[in-house]
Amino acid sequence: MDFANLVDQLNAGTILPEGIVLTTLMVIVVGDLIVGRSASRWIPYTAIAGLLAAVVALYLQWNNPNPISFLGAFNSDDLSIVFRGIIALSTAVTILMSIRYIEQSGTALAEFIGIMLTATLGGMFLSGASELVTIFISLETLSISSYLMTGYTKRDPRSNEAALKYLLIGASSTGVFLYGVSLLYGLSGGETQLSAIASAIADANLSQSLGLVISLVFVIAGVAFKISAAPFHQWTPDVYEGSPTPVVAFLSVGSKAAGFALAIRLMNSAFPLLIDEWQFVFTALAVLSMVLGNVVALAQTSMKRMLAYSSIGQAGFVMIGLIAGTEAGYASMIFYLLVYLFMNLGAFTCLILFTLRTGTDQISEYSGLYQKDPLLTLCLSICLLSLGGIPPLAGFFGKIYLFWAGWQAGQYGLVLLGLVTTVVSIYYYIRVVRMMVVKEPQEMSDAVKNYPEVQWNLPGMRPLQVGLVLTLVATSLAGILSNPLFTLANSSIARTTTLQPIVISSHFSATVPAENSALQTQQ
Amino acid sequence: MLSTQIPWLTTIILLPLVAALAIPLIPDNQGKTVRWYALGVGIADLILMVYAVWQNYDLQISTFQLAESYPWIPQLGMNWSVAVDGLSLPLVLLTGFITTLSILAAWNVTKKPRLFFALMLMMYSAQIGVFVAQDMLLFFLMWELELVPVYLLISIWGGQNRRYAATKFILYTAAGSIFILVAAFAMAMYGDVVTFDMATLGIKQYPRAFELLVYAALLIAFGVKLPIFPLHTWLPDAHSEASAPVSMILAGVLLKMAGYGLIRMNIEMLPNAHVSFAPILAILGVVNIVYGALTAFAQTNLKRRLAYSSIAHMGFVLIGIASFTELGIGGAVLQMVSHGLIAASLFFLSGVTYERTHTLIMEKMGGMAQAMPKVFALFTAGAMASLALPGMSGFVGELTIFLGITTSDAYNPMFKVVVTLLAAVGVILTPIYLLSMLRQVFYGNENSGIVIEEYLGDAKPREVFIAACLLLPIIGIGMYPKLATQTYDVKTVAVAAQVRQVLPTVIAQKQRSPLYSTALVAPQLAVPESQVLIASE
Repeated sequence: MDFANLVDQLNAGTILPEGIVLTTLMVIVVGDLIVGRSASRWIPYTAIAGLLAAVVALYLQWNNPNPISFLGAFNSDDLSIVFRGIIALSTAVTILMSIRYIEQSGTALAEFIGIMLTATLGGMFLSGASELVTIFISLETLSISSYLMTGYTKRDPRSNEAALKYLLIGASSTGVFLYGVSLLYGLSGGETQLSAIASAIADANLSQSLGLVISLVFVIAGVAFKISAAPFHQWTPDVYEGSPTPVVAFLSVGSKAAGFALAIRLMNSAFPLLIDEWQFVFTALAVLSMVLGNVVALAQTSMKRMLAYSSIGQAGFVMIGLIAGTEAGYASMIFYLLVYLFMNLGAFTCLILFTLRTGTDQISEYSGLYQKDPLLTLCLSICLLSLGGIPPLAGFFGKIYLFWAGWQAGQYGLVLLGLVTTVVSIYYYIRVVRMMVVKEPQEMSDAVKNYPEVQWNLPGMRPLQVGLVLTLVATSLAGILSNPLFTLANSSIARTTTLQPIVISSHFSATVPAENSALQTQQ
Repeated sequence: MLSTQIPWLTTIILLPLVAALAIPLIPDNQGKTVRWYALGVGIADLILMVYAVWQNYDLQISTFQLAESYPWIPQLGMNWSVAVDGLSLPLVLLTGFITTLSILAAWNVTKKPRLFFALMLMMYSAQIGVFVAQDMLLFFLMWELELVPVYLLISIWGGQNRRYAATKFILYTAAGSIFILVAAFAMAMYGDVVTFDMATLGIKQYPRAFELLVYAALLIAFGVKLPIFPLHTWLPDAHSEASAPVSMILAGVLLKMAGYGLIRMNIEMLPNAHVSFAPILAILGVVNIVYGALTAFAQTNLKRRLAYSSIAHMGFVLIGIASFTELGIGGAVLQMVSHGLIAASLFFLSGVTYERTHTLIMEKMGGMAQAMPKVFALFTAGAMASLALPGMSGFVGELTIFLGITTSDAYNPMFKVVVTLLAAVGVILTPIYLLSMLRQVFYGNENSGIVIEEYLGDAKPREVFIAACLLLPIIGIGMYPKLATQTYDVKTVAVAAQVRQVLPTVIAQKQRSPLYSTALVAPQLAVPESQVLIASE
């Protein structure tokens, strides 16, 4: 068997985007080794270029007629393409905001970006993995790099604490997940491919077996840890508070998106027989996440902790789409994650900028910021209001679509709860806006009083500014001009065959050609 | 013809919004440029409105005109679909008029003027959007769009307790408005076709229990905004803490969004449920009137008193809506327009007073008629209009509603007598609290504690102009009601006819509510008497 034939059989072209990321990673590691410290000037841009190239490669693979590759281990269908795109984009934006932060913390930039690209690689593979071993390995790649990143500022004891906490809880959750997976492997008679597992279980008539239910619960526990859904969220606030902020940004968007991709694929491919059970478990998770995340966020005094709880609540909203289980439901998840990427990363960019200038992230220290830094105030306000679902910002449309899909699928209680908790969330988001905008000059906090003059020409500040403006523009306009994003989300679901059997017929035709898709416009 | 092809309504909605976004670009000049800019935009939009209506709107047609519809998010079934009919038209014009005047009233805003005027213009867009949206999701979007601007306008430029008031406002309104979304989803997804188009939703047939639930949801949403008695507590805080120009808009326009919604959705789209709910609305209306009037009397703060008087006046709108008569529903619209003008003028004048005395506590004022005769005269005129002095618009509005409810053949005589009597008690209470307000503020010996800013003195020409602009239509409508009624009466006649059509069938199906007339037969759809009756007053 010659090499070309092997490549052909494996259909290895589908992982071209991952290949690009991997090559970028190599270039960075080797380049750093050869050039030394001065490499940090071009490394982040190389990484971003690599990630954008990966996104372009993903775009070119859109609507691939032959998505199954590596003998069924990897499925490069449109669903995975969208999720891989989300993860790659979120990393690109995260790198923009991390340059200055890492410089200022006095640690090496190249290693940080290397680890982050590894995590991205894990997340991207996870989005397409359709076989248990691949899932586990990519999940671990993502997790272990995340542990490393959380402890990256190693002189900061809180970062160490966060890393240790994350590692311990993460390891145990991985153990639980692995146990669930092993049960699945055994019950299906030694199958590792998700679709084969489903049919083997159906053939053996095991859909009511206790073992399968236990395996389902354990697998969901592992996924819920990744998407930080309550009650598997306990690590979130502490890790978010202690970790370097760009890492938090990645964990809250990229890592979460990978978790949701895994959830969609696992539940639909491996557990189609237990649809009632997994919808029930996810309903419980969603209810707990929405209530707990949004209510506890009210009491937070630290911005990072507030965003941590808010991200738990947001995960609860996204789960409504998963529970809906319809084509519109999955599409709404994707749409929401797309806009969530911009608004949440925008909020974190502002947070980083504020922390860099003042050295604090207490909410009370934001008071009166409007007088000193209008751009930062505007961007943070827009992003937070968008997270709260205020029109005409992107988050409003995202939430409307989620609730729309949930209502259409008959999840009335969940939608109502989502709406009520949204009102709660408006309160804590607008509290920050009020701090910044409403406070009188004499009520200015000490941090704002000593606010340094805004200087964009320091090293690493330009990318931060670019990230700020990019997320601001995307958050403001992605809602009003959301049609391409909707088309993208819908067509990715409509073309994904694994989701078709359980999909309830949708009311609209999502047959707009892929050329119209918005993958390009997001950049 | 060219002028019919221009997307008038879209232009009218988007002009202030786009103009607001351009505000950071204009030069600073201590806020002097920006206020001219905002005023210019306000006037331009008002002129645009008047011109579009003048050119393309036929008052004799009760259906939607100037309609535009573009698919916005077809995946959700959401369209950018706007149109005006007799119900929207007076309120759109009212919005343009009041907002422009309130921009002029905000001439002295020196704190963050750019932000202030940007928010005012955003609110302008949102309000017009609410009145012309023909898609329920678009309606919800516009409804929510106004939240944050109002929140910021109250919490930055308000009085002592402004942050509390603003937070209360946003939480109440946001919590209330989720019911609009729920109702929209429920109606849109009922049946096979998902559509948010209001006209289509109105034609759909829903089961009775479903319709009642949706009606209740919308009633809560609009009840918070109108406000209806147990949901009203945000209003006195918000209206009294907001600065005068913002209170003008809050009382003048925002409350009307709820009245509009009640007629547009609850009556037009859910007429069957309306038949069941109408007596409750009438009772709530009476409660509003009496409770609002009594509570207003107990207030010591000038603006709080005016705020409670708004609650009382909106009670009349509820009674009109519940009346099942052309007169009543027409009266409800007229009362909204009239209250919009009156409340705006009173809040504006209280702001003028506050600028000079720096207090709103009436006990600390007194004898100010000496120092400020013009303010006194204008204030008196506004108060007279508010207490429904004949010859002013308040009188016409309230009288039409009384006529509507008493001539209604849908209720039994006992119920009508009680409602009318109690509402009449409210009408008697109104002069009591308004005249006592005038007495405390302007009559008697000058309170020694009061300090009137000397350099301001009596009302300036700008202030007289604003008050006169508001008082003129008040008197105009009072003298010649057709001025206002002609804009909507074709439509309200149609609405009344629609809701009366279902009246006998619904009553026949269900056991009759004891509140309805026991001798109820299918009411004859009489010839529109409204003009005759109004004109004869």
